[in-house]
Parts: sequence; C-alpha cells; structure tokens
Amino acid sequence: MVLLLASAAAAMRGCSRSYAQLLSQLQNQANMEENPNLLLEPYIHLQDLDTDILRNSCMVYPSVFPSEDALRALSKPGFLRAVHATLGRLWNSLTALQKQLLQDQDLPRLTITKHNIQGMRNNIHCLAWWLGSPLETSEPTQGGSRVSLTPTPALDVFWSKMKSCRLLWGYHHFIGLVGRVFREWEDNPNRSRRHSPLRLVLPKGTRKIRPSRRGQRPVRRAQ
Amino acid sequence: MPTLPAWVVQALVIFLTTGSTGQLLDPCGYIYPESPVIQYGSNFTAVCVLKEKCMDNYNVNATYIVWKTNHVAVPKEQYTIINRTASSVTFVSMAYLSVQLTCNILTYGQLEQNVYGVTVVSGFPPEEPKNLSCIVNEGKKMMCQWDPGRETYLETNFTLKSEWATEKFADCKTKRGNPTSCIVDYAPIYFVNIEVWVEAENSLGKATSEHINFDPVDRVKPNPPRNLSVSNSEELSSILKLSWINPNIRNVIRLKYNIQYRTKDATAWSQIPLEDTVATRSSFTVQDLNPFTEYVFRIRCMKEDGRGFWSDWSEEASGVTYEDRPSKAPSFWFKINPSRTQDYRSVQLIWKTLPPFEANGKILDYEVTLRRWKSPSQNYTVNDTELTVNLTNDRYVATLAARNRVGKSDASVLPIPPYPFQASQPVTNLKAFPKDNMLWVEWTAPSKSVRKYILEWCVLSDSSPCVPDWQQEEGTVHQTYLKGNIEESRCYLIVVTPVYPAGPGHPQSVKAYLKQAAPSKGPTVRTKKVGKTEAVLEWDQLPVDVQNGFIRNYSIFYKTIVGNETVVNVDSSHTEYTLSSLTSDTLYMVRMAAYTDEGGKDGPEFTFTTPKFAQGEVEAIVVPVCLAFLLTTLLGVLFCFNKRHLIKKHIWPNVPDPSKSHIAQWSPHTPPRHNFNAKDQMYSDGNFTDVSVVEIEANDKKPFPDDLKSLDLFKKDKVSAEGHSSGIGGSSCMSSSRPSISSGDENTASTVQYSTVVHSGYRHQAPSVQVFSRSESTQPLLDSEERPEDAQLVAESGDRGDSIPPRQQYFKQSCGQPDTSPDTCHFERSDQLSCGSEEDLVRLKQQPGLGHTSQPCGSEQVKALQEGSAADTFGPRAEGHTEKLETVGVEAALDEGIPKSYLPQTVRQGGYVPQ
Repeated sequence: MVLLLASAAAAMRGCSRSYAQLLSQLQNQANMEENPNLLLEPYIHLQDLDTDILRNSCMVYPSVFPSEDALRALSKPGFLRAVHATLGRLWNSLTALQKQLLQDQDLPRLTITKHNIQGMRNNIHCLAWWLGSPLETSEPTQGGSRVSLTPTPALDVFWSKMKSCRLLWGYHHFIGLVGRVFREWEDNPNRSRRHSPLRLVLPKGTRKIRPSRRGQRPVRRAQ
Repeated sequence: MPTLPAWVVQALVIFLTTGSTGQLLDPCGYIYPESPVIQYGSNFTAVCVLKEKCMDNYNVNATYIVWKTNHVAVPKEQYTIINRTASSVTFVSMAYLSVQLTCNILTYGQLEQNVYGVTVVSGFPPEEPKNLSCIVNEGKKMMCQWDPGRETYLETNFTLKSEWATEKFADCKTKRGNPTSCIVDYAPIYFVNIEVWVEAENSLGKATSEHINFDPVDRVKPNPPRNLSVSNSEELSSILKLSWINPNIRNVIRLKYNIQYRTKDATAWSQIPLEDTVATRSSFTVQDLNPFTEYVFRIRCMKEDGRGFWSDWSEEASGVTYEDRPSKAPSFWFKINPSRTQDYRSVQLIWKTLPPFEANGKILDYEVTLRRWKSPSQNYTVNDTELTVNLTNDRYVATLAARNRVGKSDASVLPIPPYPFQASQPVTNLKAFPKDNMLWVEWTAPSKSVRKYILEWCVLSDSSPCVPDWQQEEGTVHQTYLKGNIEESRCYLIVVTPVYPAGPGHPQSVKAYLKQAAPSKGPTVRTKKVGKTEAVLEWDQLPVDVQNGFIRNYSIFYKTIVGNETVVNVDSSHTEYTLSSLTSDTLYMVRMAAYTDEGGKDGPEFTFTTPKFAQGEVEAIVVPVCLAFLLTTLLGVLFCFNKRHLIKKHIWPNVPDPSKSHIAQWSPHTPPRHNFNAKDQMYSDGNFTDVSVVEIEANDKKPFPDDLKSLDLFKKDKVSAEGHSSGIGGSSCMSSSRPSISSGDENTASTVQYSTVVHSGYRHQAPSVQVFSRSESTQPLLDSEERPEDAQLVAESGDRGDSIPPRQQYFKQSCGQPDTSPDTCHFERSDQLSCGSEEDLVRLKQQPGLGHTSQPCGSEQVKALQEGSAADTFGPRAEGHTEKLETVGVEAALDEGIPKSYLPQTVRQGGYVPQ
C-alpha cells in the first residue's frame, strides 16, 4: 500500500493540480501547435516546396497518425495512450528531421515544438493519472518511431522532403484533432468523470495525495 | 606562463619538505576530527592521539600533551587524558567562527613540539529558503529567486531544482556572491506545470524550500507592445486612435492592456478603463479628448487572465486632436484712462487669451464690437488682447469673440457705463484664504443679478508699484481661486467687482497671503524717551516686503546685563510701548520680534541707560541751592557793604611806615572860607570825626641839604601837575594807596601822598581852621605790623600822659586800630574822617603863628615829635631808605624860618591852595 502511495505520489509529482487545468493546458498546447505557420510553412519555404502542387501533395495525412475516427472511438484512457504514443513517435521523427537540417537556425521552431511535444506527453501522463489509468512511464525511444527519416540518396531527397513535409502537416493536423477532442471533453465533463480510475482504484483517504494538496504529501522529496 | 593548479603546488611543497625532514609524512600523532566544522555555539571535543614510536622517541605520553588555540594554551581543566596515548580537549559553546587548534607535547627541557593542528570552523546550518518565486521574461529563460535565510558563515550551496512529472531538468546552481536567484538553462515550456524548489546545503546540513508548482505561462512577463502610434480624426476633434504591434507571446497567450495618456504638459497620467482593453488587440480609439490638444500615450500588456506580470511600458507616443471652435468666450474687462476730455474718454478694452482647452485651436484674431444706443456698431478685428478707443460719455455695450480655423466663440458682453455713473451694490463678506496651495476668494453675492465678477489682484510692495492681474468669473460663482502665479509670503491686494447689466458695481478689496512665513527682518526698536524708571520705546511698522505675513503681535525682550530677560507682548497696532519699573542708572538691552502666524523674527538689539535722576530732579536740587547761594552771597555783599568800614579795617590795616614816608605839610595861610564852601557843603553837618596830624620834627641838628630849593621847585611842579587831583578832597587811608602825583622825576615817581583833613567841627561847632596835610611816601602799606618798634612807640607815647593823645600816634591811625580808643580814627573815605579831639582843633586854631599854615596839629604834638618819638623813629630810617625825602622836608622848613614842627610849608609860597 505504501509503495502504491509512493508510486502514485511520484507519478503525480509536477503535474497540474487540477483536472480542468490539465485539460486547458492540453487544449492550449494543441491550439498552439496546430498552427502550420510554426513548422510547416517555414519548412515549405525552406525546402522550396511552396507550389500548389507540392502543397497539395504535402497535405496528405500520413498513415502513421491515427485517424480522427479511430481516436474518437477510443475511451479517454485509450485516447490518452494513443496520443501519448503518437507524440512519442513524432518526437523521434522530429529529432531525425532536425538532424537532417543543416542548422538549427533553419527551422528554429522545431526545438520548441519538440519541447512542446514533451510537455503534451507530460500533461497526458498527468491526465491519465487523474483519470485513473496511468500510462507506462517510458521515455521516448529512438527506435519507437515508425516514421523513419534516414538519410537517403539524392534521388530520394525530394521524396524525403515531401515525407518530412507531410510529417509536419500531419503533425499539425493531428494536434488539431487532439485539441478538438480535448475541447469536447471540456464541453462534456461527465464523460471525463466517467473515467476516474485513480479515485476508484485507490483506497479511501488516498485522495489526500492529490497534487493539489501537496502540503499533505506522504513523502517529501529531497530530504 | 600557464599556472599550475594549487593542489599541485601544495603537493609539491609537501613532497619536497617531506623529503628533507622525513617527519611531516609521519607526524607524532593526529587530531580527530581532522577538519571539524561545528555549529556556532555548540560544544566541541577534539582528541589527540600520539604514536607509540613518537612516544618512545621523546619519552612522553598523553599527559605531556598541551592543547593550544590560536597559539594560546588551553586551560588544563578542559583536558581529559583518555589513555596513555590520547588526550582530549573540550570546548563549551564554541564562540569562534574559525580557530586553529594544535596538539603539542612537552619534550626534554620543557620544549614544546607541535604534533598536529587542525582548523575548527563554526557556523550555522542553512535555513529553509523562503519566498521562492519565478518569472519568465518573454524570450528569456526562467529566473527564480528566494530569500536564503540567515547568514551561515559557511560555504553554502543553493541549488534550484525543477522537474515535470515525467522529466527532471538540470539543476540550476547559484553563482558565488548571488545565492538568492538563479536562471535555468532551458527554455520555458508553456502550458506544462513544473515543480520548482531550492535546496541549500553546507557542511552542517541541508534545507529545502517549499515546492512550488506552476505553469510557466502564468509567470510570463511579456515584452511591451512596440511601434505605438497615434493618429487623429478630422471628423471628430475629441478622439485619437492608437495602434501598436503586440509582442510575440501573443501567439501563445491572450493579452490584456493598460493604456495611459496625459496632455503634453501634464505630469499625471489618466488611464483607459481596464475593462475596455481586456482582449487581445492591436489598436484602440481614445475618446472624450479635448480638441487641439497634444496627448501622450503609453501602453503595456499582460496575460489576459491576470496571471503573470505586466510588461514594461512601451515607448511613449503623442498625437494632437483636431481643432474645434473656441468653447468659451474670452474674459473681457475695461479700464478708463485718467486722461479725458469733456466729451470723450479713453477706454481700454482688455481681454484674456483663451486657455488651449477652451481655444480648441489656434486663435487667429478677436472680433470686438462697440454699440451705442441708437447708433451703428463699430467693429474691430484685433490680433492683440487689448483695444483702446475714445468713447463719448454715453453708455456702450462691447462684445468680444475669439476666432480660430474652425469657427468663432460665443460673444463676451461687457457694458461700459456712462459718465458719470453711480456704481451699485458691492459684494459683501469678501474674504480670501489659502487652500490646497491656492489662494481662494469667497464672497456673498449682491441681491441684484450679477452678470459676472471681475477679480483683480496685485502684490503689495514698498519697492514696486501694484501691477494688477485680473480674471473673470461667472455671475453664479461666489468662490474661486486666483488663477495666476501666486507667490508665497507676498501680500496680495484682491479686489472683487460685480458687473451688472448696467455696469460695474462697487469694488471691494481684501488682503491675503497664499502662505505666510516669519518676517525676514525684525523691527528696529529705539527709545523715544528714557526716564529714571521707565522708557518709552518706539518702532516703525515693518515694510510689507519683509512682513511675509500679517503681523499678529510684537514681543519686546529687555534685560539688564546681569538680569533675566523679560518679555512683553504688544499688539501689532502699536508702534510704541512704555517699559516701566526700570532701575535707574542701569544699562538695558532691548530687542523686538515681530510675529506672523508662521513665526517671528528678532530685530537688532538696542541698548539704553536709565538716568540716575529723573527729569527735573537735578533742577529741583540745583536751583534752590543756587538761589540759596546767591541769596547768601547777596546778603553777604549787603552786609559787607553795610559794614564795609569794619571789613576795611580788618582787611587793610593800613599802617604806613613813617620811616619810609616823606611828609609834606601844607599850612596855607588862612584860606578864604569860600575855598571851603564845597567842603562845607559836602560836610554840612561838620562831621569830621577824625583828624590825623602828621608832625615831623625837624632835626635841627642836621644841616640842611643843599638842594632845598630843588625840593621847593619840586613842590611847585607837583602842585601844578596835580591841580585838582591832589587828593586833598579825597584824602583818606583808601586814597593813600593811589599815587596822586605823577611826575617824570625819578625821586617822586613812587611817592604816595598822605593827606589828612583836619576838621574841628565837633559838636556842631564850626572849626576855625581847616588844615590839610599831605604825605608822600614810597613805603608800602600794612608794613606796621612788621615793625614792633612802632607799636612800642605808641605804647611809650601813651605812657607819657595826656600830652600826647593816642591820635597822635603817627601812621598808626584809625584803619588799623579801630578799637584802641573812642577817639580812634576811622578812615574809609575822606568825608568820614573823624580824627582828633575838638580841643586839639581849637588849640590849633588859636595858635597865632599858624594862621596861614593851617597846621592841623598842636604844639604839643610837635613837641612830642621833637622830644622823642620822631627822633627815635625817623632817625634810623633817615639813614635808610628815605633819607633824601626826610632831609628835604626838614631843610625846607628850616630854610623858611617857619617853626620846625611844620614841614614843608609849600603852601606858604602861595603855590598851593587845597580845594
């Protein structure tokens, strides 16, 4: 029991103190990252892909991202897990893309996007705990991505750019989709309450260890 | 040259030293603990353990150990011998922040050898850092700061730790010298809560602050909006439109704004209501502004929900609203110049420029209209603010309007009364008072309807004239403040004039200060009048330039040199004061101070001395004294005058020395009686009371000198020279001192004539013969007292019997001896002569041989002279000083055959007739 509590406390450490705030933060993150002007447009201009044909060719939702229908079909924990996993893969892909670029200055926003992806995954992790379905705390792995952006010969450079363009477009699109789902969660709070496994799983009294009551944490760190 | 690390140098030194001594690496013992750090004020125990080898070498044990702190031996009481090799020392409540503790042993000869040494450092463990807070300046990394707590006196490390639920961030370690803040190395990730805390750690412990959990976006301080610009609108003169560029954080968060504005010359900012700018925007229109007014704007922003920090203010931007017609008529007033003719008067119309907020634009000119009853109006366009016109004595109505690019103001109407004009009701209860650093004027409105009020004021000064300023107030106003440059400590004369439709009313005035101060100069006091016990002080009223306020009262401080100061308060309306109960003949120091409501100022000190006597007191003493003196003197003079003959006798005991006398006797033939008429008349009563007879016995034994004739001639000359001034008529003791002969002859130059009037008018019997005798002598008067032989002579004469009466004592006559005899002769004046007896005179008269000689003295007197006294008296003297004169007289008598007792007989020759 103590281990459970300690584990729960450690898992919740640093999380937002309220479910609503977490949801709001995720919505804001999604709103912020769905803007194609942050990554896609700079990349299109950077890679000289700014033609209608190429743009249309770029705007293809990659199969690596779950579809909207699939996401909406998931339960909240399932949705969170799916998003968490997808963001993990995206992080790896963006890291690979970052390596392909000559300099960070070519796409400065990419680093911030990667940080934001990590932040969203952190929030999803916290929200999952709030919902009683904690995620496995596995760090993003380099090999976890199904989007391989390994260096390619010159002939493949174009296709590589297009794939990267599609990845970025897919990222913005996916994030936008996630944001809409989260807004729906906010609009329909009952749905969110329906899944509150943490409160159900934990025995009575353990609600006191909620992050919002940090003064009552059973374990104080860094002593 | 690259520098070697310090530890390398130290190691090298130790190695080389060890190699040479072979002892440092193998000390005699150790101190435990080796690097003690203890809490300040706590107890501390150190143990020194000696090595067996060392003990054997030096033949010592633990009892030989001596502890020292900073080279000072620790008292033995603090030692504890643990065993043969170990000794401990205990310090209670260690009060040193750093102290060197050494373990020493006493070897042979009480030589002290150091065994080991450590440095004991004390301090405090860190306190829990407080007040941890973080801020995210847009575009920069997050910075957190905290309160580190008390000083630890030890090297304390502060570490800022932060983490997500799924990730830990790198620690942020504070820089040396700045343990209260730290800037993290990573960029802030918005919308993800982060947990932050601070750990403080030193040798004595570790403390952790409270964890704070926040979303960095809620700690953002945005960059200020940039490129703020202001534009106006020709359609609306009361608005200005602001535009700006939002900071980049606007892509992440929603913003709200704070817009402030002010007029160009103002210092205080006005603020747009925050509720009007709660949403993200890039422009805003400010309304309700004044036309043709320059405004300055600034703007800042923050997160819309109020979490986080306001950005800094943007750079200021200014803009001018568009013009509008003047919103108010100018203030309008007039002055009638003193110079006027019978039919015309010079009227100066004056007005005030409109303030910018009423002008609403640039005033191009003013339109003035003058209208007289049933006469066409006169129009003037003036660029200045005054207009002088010549008007008749009729009533006029003047109007004034200001014009700018957009239009004209309303007209200001001013009635100009006819001449003469009886002004109507003034305002009442006029008063002025300072409030809020302004000079307010308040009055009660007259019962009549007032169109407007004119307030005029000027500074009252002794050095400059009153230059009035003025302002206009609406007729409904009864309280306002002077809208001019009102200075403190200056006296203002304020005049309020109501203006009725028919003309101005009576002006009323009041004086006031915006702020009073103590006078800058004190009054100069002086004395108007100083009395024995009081002094009247006076002073001048202070000039208004130095009053600095209303003089409420004066204080007079006065004291003596040694006395306490006395203070008298005097009302400000007075200019003199009488100090009473003063001490006479005392120096007083007095000064005055004048007081306003804000304080006083002393004037120069003045000294005065009270007199010893009051006014008139000296006169009251001196005048009576003088009068008494004068009276006494007068009485004395009168007394002396009345008793002058007595005084004369006392002061001038005129006793001629016969030895120095040269006697001449005139025995004229019986003078005609008419020659004595004058004398008879003068002495009508025949009261010659004294007769002095000078008889000189001729020395028949002495031959006549040869120059007898020369004597005779001399007599003649003398008679001719003297004439009536011979002194016969004035012969007396008094006159005897005055030479009656003036001659160039050396022998007679110093002679004195002594003459005697012999009168025998005793008991109303007319004398038969008047005898005049005269003497000439060079002998000074009052010489008889030095000649006792004279007195002897007199005494002897008296002893001989009645044959020689006392009056026959020659040259010892009346002046010197007033009381010797009832017959004593009293000479003061010739007319008072009373000498000799009546019998003597009768006898002289009956002598036939003397009928012409008028010899005053009888034969017995002559005989007496012949028989003794004269010889005894003159004999020796003749050989002395006056030998020549005596000889001459005697010889002359003998030469003429005249009885020898009467010499000289100059009259017989008919050369002299006494008168």
